[in-house]
Amino acid sequence: MATEVSGENYDGLLKEMETLKGRLDEERLKLNDVALSTVSQRLEGMAQLSIKPRRVLKGHQAKVLCADWSSDKRHIVSSSQDGKIIVWDAFTTNKEHAVTMPTTWVMACAFAPSGNLVACGGLDNKVTVYPLSMEDDPINKRKTVGTHTSYMSCCLFPNSDQQILTGSGDSTCALWDVESGQLLQSFHGHSADVMSIDLAPSETGNTFVSGGCDRTALIWDMRTGQKVQAFEGHDADINSVKFYPSGEAIATGSDDATCRLFDLRADREVAVYTKESIIFGVNAVDFSVSGRILFAGYNDYTVNVWDTLKCSRITMLYGHENRVSCLKVSPDGTAICTGSWDFTLRVWA
Amino acid sequence: MSNLQQQRLVVEQLRREAAIKRITVRQAVADIMKYVSDHQQDDCLMIGFSSQKANPFREKSSCSVL
Repeated sequence: MATEVSGENYDGLLKEMETLKGRLDEERLKLNDVALSTVSQRLEGMAQLSIKPRRVLKGHQAKVLCADWSSDKRHIVSSSQDGKIIVWDAFTTNKEHAVTMPTTWVMACAFAPSGNLVACGGLDNKVTVYPLSMEDDPINKRKTVGTHTSYMSCCLFPNSDQQILTGSGDSTCALWDVESGQLLQSFHGHSADVMSIDLAPSETGNTFVSGGCDRTALIWDMRTGQKVQAFEGHDADINSVKFYPSGEAIATGSDDATCRLFDLRADREVAVYTKESIIFGVNAVDFSVSGRILFAGYNDYTVNVWDTLKCSRITMLYGHENRVSCLKVSPDGTAICTGSWDFTLRVWA
Repeated sequence: MSNLQQQRLVVEQLRREAAIKRITVRQAVADIMKYVSDHQQDDCLMIGFSSQKANPFREKSSCSVL
């Protein structure tokens, strides 16, 4: 699009900023021709779900803060306020590895795609990797990959064991090389703590989303470090972001007690998941493999199960005795794992 | 970084965002719904398992109810 250069003085730039913002709002509004819940009215409702609690994983001695599935669909890594990370066999509920970190509040953990490596970090501001092997204590092989200037809130391996993407309380995201510990790219654009990141589910995987305490979700190009899109609308911190399985939309969960769906190509919010009776914040969101179900973990100890298309609540998962802090659907979509401030993790299927 | 430089970056970012090609919400939600209808037969959490044996997290019990 041709944009006139409006002079290189500050006032000119301010004026152009206002014009552009106005135009953005106008364009987005113009395309808002129908509501998702209206289009989905003719759809059949879902049959009764048969999801039941199947496993309880006990072992942490404090709040569970994060969990991630291994690509083998069987192992789960979890991290806790007690400073421990535990690798579980979710089939048997056995603990296969337990590592004590030199910090409490391990806010983030992630399995590498190979399943042989986990990354974690938190109040220590660092992202540390532990190779998992039966012969050696993982603690002897630990390696610090990167350091932020504030706590690390989230991490993931984009596509291979060689790189880690992190989000931090220093309001940036960063891409690190695992081997050398080199900072490959940093992502500046949030004006407050980054709480959650997710990778776009495409083969190339060069796009990710971040959400945080500035109530904004940002879409990034991982190669250039450039912000591609910004989504606003929440009235409080965004605690969780997740790509819709097609990669064309993102879901967000917020302290404002709502979840929202933003479409990347319509460049705007297309749905809000809310009820008058739901007044507690959302800590985690994830989709079933088809995208039809949106799971959301809340501060009121429940998991609400939303029909993504009809924007209505289908059911709730009860079991946890404190806040649900994290939630992940298994890689093949057969199960969901939830972690809570009640010190336990649960697997539902 | 000076105010002017910062403001320039903000405006450049907004120019990029304003230049994005957009589709209507009607088109966007049609694609979202199509993805569900193409993949719901594989969505075990939605439609359940063909048999309980297919559920890797089924209850293991030594006796079965006939």
